[in-house]
Amino acid sequence: MKVRYSYLPQQFSKCDDLWIRLKVLVKSGDFTLGKPLKIFEKKFSKLIGTRYAVGVNSGTDAIKLPLKAIGIKPGDEIITAANTFVATVGAITELGAKPIFVDCDNTFCMNVDLIEKKITKKTKAIVPVHFAGYMTNMPKLIKLAKKYNIPIIEDACQSILANINGKNAGTWGIAGSFSLHPLKNINVWADGGIITTNNKNLYRKLILLRNHGLIDRDTVKICGYNSRLDTFQAVVGNWLLPQAKSISNQRIKNANFLDKEFSKIKEIIVPYRPKNFKIVYHLYIVFSEKRDQLYKFCLSKGIEAKIHYPTPIYLQEAYKYLKYKKGDFKVTDEHCKKIISFPCDQHLNNKQLKYIVNTVKSFFK
Amino acid sequence: MKIPYVDLSYKNKSINNLISIFKNILKKGQFVGGEEVDIFEKKIAKFCGTKYAVALNSGTDALTLALHLLGVTRGDEVITSPNSFIASTSVIVHLGAKPVFVDVLKDQNIDPSKIEKAITKKTKVIMPVHLSGRMCRMDEIMLIAKKNNISVVEDAAQAIGSKYKNKLSGSYGHFGCFSAHPLKNLNALGDSGYLTTNNFRHYKKIKSLSNHGMENRNVVKNFGYVSRMDNIQAAFLNYKINNLSSIIDKRRENFLVYSKYLDRKNVFFIDEREDEFNTYHTFVVQVNLRDKLKNYLLKKKISTSIHYPIPIHLQPASKYLGYKKGDFIVTEEQSKKIITLPINENLNIEQIKYICRNINQFYKNL
Repeated sequence: MKVRYSYLPQQFSKCDDLWIRLKVLVKSGDFTLGKPLKIFEKKFSKLIGTRYAVGVNSGTDAIKLPLKAIGIKPGDEIITAANTFVATVGAITELGAKPIFVDCDNTFCMNVDLIEKKITKKTKAIVPVHFAGYMTNMPKLIKLAKKYNIPIIEDACQSILANINGKNAGTWGIAGSFSLHPLKNINVWADGGIITTNNKNLYRKLILLRNHGLIDRDTVKICGYNSRLDTFQAVVGNWLLPQAKSISNQRIKNANFLDKEFSKIKEIIVPYRPKNFKIVYHLYIVFSEKRDQLYKFCLSKGIEAKIHYPTPIYLQEAYKYLKYKKGDFKVTDEHCKKIISFPCDQHLNNKQLKYIVNTVKSFFK
Repeated sequence: MKIPYVDLSYKNKSINNLISIFKNILKKGQFVGGEEVDIFEKKIAKFCGTKYAVALNSGTDALTLALHLLGVTRGDEVITSPNSFIASTSVIVHLGAKPVFVDVLKDQNIDPSKIEKAITKKTKVIMPVHLSGRMCRMDEIMLIAKKNNISVVEDAAQAIGSKYKNKLSGSYGHFGCFSAHPLKNLNALGDSGYLTTNNFRHYKKIKSLSNHGMENRNVVKNFGYVSRMDNIQAAFLNYKINNLSSIIDKRRENFLVYSKYLDRKNVFFIDEREDEFNTYHTFVVQVNLRDKLKNYLLKKKISTSIHYPIPIHLQPASKYLGYKKGDFIVTEEQSKKIITLPINENLNIEQIKYICRNINQFYKNL
């Protein structure tokens, strides 16, 4: 049996109504900042529960633009997670700011207790990363940020519709950053991102920043970027958005099944699942001491397992200049050796899920 | 007669072609990077006569990555013209460098004779902008650059297929940067861009820079950007590039109609010189009473545009650079006189004649 990681061909195999909508768009020629984009932004902000949403070119830009908007400049320090995908850090360094890493805890997210001692006069923002569909401990983080008056920009790229006590990712900080990349839970057919916020001033600034800083066709108010979500992709998004809740519910159901079965295998450790968290399982990750062998075994059995990510960002060549060294982030390092990701998406069937479990079982036998 | 400035809508037959192209992509589920992107890069490099091309998210990003790779950073200076679209200047600013403007010639392109005076020890790059589909005097510019050991990045966003002295845009400088925005002659269905180069090392580096600086899925070599052309847009461009030459031909024909029927007493524009091959991304003419003419034409249902009414050095965003009115006299004069007439490939001769008649009439009525 084959259990593929990417379900994209399946996901869009029956979408005749979407094709009709795309034909309408192509006929209209409304390709840049068009009407479907405005509709998508409205629907998305409603889904997440913020006043505004701004469609941009990628999840990376969804982090970069709010940072730029709150005035981040060269020399500033920004606290973020040591175990994130490169894009979070790329967005920070692109603005000339310095990423200050914090180790994660057993939820894969930043250990909020470790943040305070990293705060300096130069700290201008905190970017918690809601990794793999989890969430950073936002109630605690909000308290800390208030104490020091530091704005929070949530990297929610992997956690659309995740929540703590019913409050969604992307509604806690001054801005929430989402990715619509084809591999995300809500996915368009290309790079794409969207920013949520309740702050009107920030919203206005983001609208300028994504479109060359133009207040009208001829006047440039601030130096901006070219980072617009294609209207074409907004049409895809509008088609997909009504399915958002059922997508995350199905993922949760699959994850619960895997959790239950994996916890019967003593060589597999299922991560901590806090009760008041809604985890949306963008990635389904468990721990194994024999990760490398297990990984190879699964691949040989047709299961496309993955590792997110084998080399932590602070040890990448690009960030050598920050002078971190191996051992600086013990939990992250531990995770890197043990983590393995299994398919968990909404298009898997029961047989495939059981096959994953049985394959892992047979490996340890 | 109603004449829109542009017409981006697609007709039924081509829509069906498009949908089948997209369905093909969907079947494979390859949206980011992919076969179509590779094909496009090969096709466009061949078209431009360069060894390599990299498909990117926008023309703006093409400029950013080119400058980044050439080492432009805080404190450096980049020479460019002040009458361009804002993007060519903002990319310089975002890298922390200072845009140094040089005034333009009658044909709206940078004046090579004024470049040398603007060069300082800090000058890293000269960025000529091929405005409206007409190329800058690249031979002179390359000579100045060579003499002063400065790199050249061509902002060819509006000039795919344009030639100067028989050489194509994007093949003179260290990099050629192009836009495939929906309003361009070779246009995608959303933001897209690409860059050309003859340098293999540069090509490899730009590829990585546009993809988070990643060498492979797990190794990050340098800090990078996310600027990838969508596979679906690449597929569309691969389909459209087959018509590019005929689109350019049609726009050139349209220009000839204009030049035959417009009364030159009132309307100033420069004919194609012998060593030029212009592609008329836009057709910009210079007139007196520009705003009145624009309104008059609008009443006659003819839409026109202005590229661009406020020069970059006078934009609110540029205040901190300390330029003032009068610093670039030719650009400022032109900004009051320029008007862009419709020239897209969907226009027919009768429509253009109608535009010319109305313009001539406007000045007769005075």
